Amino acid sequence: MILVCGGLADRVTELVCARLDDCGYEYRLLDLGSYPTGFEIHCRWDDPATPVTGYLAGPDWRLELGEISGVYVRLLGLEGRRLPESVPAPATASVIHELDLGLLALFEDLPCPVVNRLRGSYSNNSKVLQALLVRRSGLLTPPTLVTNDPDEASRFLDELGEEGAIYKSLSGVRSIVRRLEPEQRARLPLLRHGPVQLQAYVPGDDVRVHVVGDDLHATRVRSKATDYRYARRQGHQVEMEPAELPEEVAEACRWLARELGLLLAGVDLRETPSGEYYCFEVNPSPGFLYYERGSGQPISSSLANLLHRGTAAPADQPGRSRPSA
Amino acid sequence: MHWRCPLFLLLGHPHDPCCEAVRRELERRERKAVLTADPMAAPARFSWRLSNSGSEIRFEIRDACYSNDELEGVLVRSSGYVEPTGWRPEDLAYMQAESQAALLAWLWSLSCPVVNLYPAFVWYSPRAPLVSWLPLLRRSGLPAPPTLITNVDREARAFGAASGNGDGGIVYSPLATETRYLIGQGDDWRGIEAIARVVPVCLSPPHGAVEVVQVVGEATFWEREPAPAAIALEPALCRFAAAAGLSFVELVLAPVAGRLVVVAVEPQPRLERLAPGQRRAVANHLVDLLTDSRWRDAPAEPRRTVS
Repeated sequence: MILVCGGLADRVTELVCARLDDCGYEYRLLDLGSYPTGFEIHCRWDDPATPVTGYLAGPDWRLELGEISGVYVRLLGLEGRRLPESVPAPATASVIHELDLGLLALFEDLPCPVVNRLRGSYSNNSKVLQALLVRRSGLLTPPTLVTNDPDEASRFLDELGEEGAIYKSLSGVRSIVRRLEPEQRARLPLLRHGPVQLQAYVPGDDVRVHVVGDDLHATRVRSKATDYRYARRQGHQVEMEPAELPEEVAEACRWLARELGLLLAGVDLRETPSGEYYCFEVNPSPGFLYYERGSGQPISSSLANLLHRGTAAPADQPGRSRPSA
Repeated sequence: MHWRCPLFLLLGHPHDPCCEAVRRELERRERKAVLTADPMAAPARFSWRLSNSGSEIRFEIRDACYSNDELEGVLVRSSGYVEPTGWRPEDLAYMQAESQAALLAWLWSLSCPVVNLYPAFVWYSPRAPLVSWLPLLRRSGLPAPPTLITNVDREARAFGAASGNGDGGIVYSPLATETRYLIGQGDDWRGIEAIARVVPVCLSPPHGAVEVVQVVGEATFWEREPAPAAIALEPALCRFAAAAGLSFVELVLAPVAGRLVVVAVEPQPRLERLAPGQRRAVANHLVDLLTDSRWRDAPAEPRRTVS
């Protein structure tokens, strides 16, 4: 039995449920929109030698933890949650945090595939930490400067020449990737207050790769926008189509997902006109609906099959191997 | 501006006893150390260039400038602190996230010893509840107390009756805080049931007097003379530290139902919890780790290449 832990108001979770229905795979929905109201959770760690035991129950179902073949989890933000009325507004965030911690602790210890375990997701809080791993994957990472030194930033920008640079957040805080325009150089002295990430602009087509277990779906995204996610806002169009990747690039994407302990990963690549592949980021909770609709690729079917098969999942975050400097 | 001799960087706050003890030990060994809480904001200057062909840093502090090769070791006691003065709350949160992200990655890029070189999941959740450590404790051979997370009243009561101290006593531990509540009978249980209607509760049996142990590399340092049952756990404690990727970690042990178990994991050990003699010994071992040439000589991971 598959467990889906998310909110039906979230369109990605809705798609996962619809695909499971289409495939005829049984699942139970732990609806985070209303959880814990209407649900029972009972998780016991008794014997030091065995994983968690217990059950989850919904309005008309009960699921022993040992019966779960796979879990898809997509947490909701504050706006998607309905808590009991007795919870005062100032306590909302802390109650939701407490709720999520309990579920995530459970998912960490389930022996079945979990898409995705929390531990593998933390690397996305530091894009430049992921860049260290990207370098080891064999994919390219753009020349990058992390600095709080305006003079060093100026030197870096001067060296890049005509193509120039982009700037974007270092952390998991969502940001719009933007070209650094000449007028913004006047603001470089503000860098003294904290670090910024500048990166050489890489021309070419974006390719979003969804790794789902061993399956891989590569989607070519064509747009004139620097950050295609915000293309319409900037008056540009977005076109998508399935893409073929060289086998070594595909294998590098699978390797990245495995190293991060992710059964589902959204790998952001850009293919240059000369056929080189740069990797910008690995998303541990990709909103694949956008790409499935745009390209017609069966990403959610791959995910449904993975959850149904219940193949062994890497329970740990990747080992503490040292990225090469 | 001038380039200086090799440096040990202590990332922490000026009054942190651990930073102070390590600095004293480094000075005793005639090694240079600089302490800073925030290496990525003024007055420090920080630059890190990263590409497929290399990783170069330039780090300027106290009028001296250092490159990759001139950093001998880094003690990490702070995870990207940003001085809040002058920031609006929303901007401070952003800068905090940016500084943490940059610092974690930079530490992982260094070829010198870094203690602790925190895995991302510990860096971003250093106060993770004990329940999140249970799988790793189990794989390392370390016992933990029976634990229950539930919002089912009858299950909570049954667990309390079976695991408590005979009079229904049980400990309620909210997962997001370090506060603990001893639950007795009557009103206490009604309170637990009221909480469980809003959020599942985490319960475990009460424990006896605690013993603190700090693992430094492969050595253990106890708060007081350990009992034989504690000594028997030392190999498992070292396995846990290695598996967690922490070369400096504190664990708190206590008897539950007559058995010594782990009741807390602290990835940022507090040196002040040990006796003065033990503090010096821990600082000594930390400096041994920071000056361990095997780290620098360790072969780099083979790189995979895409032609």
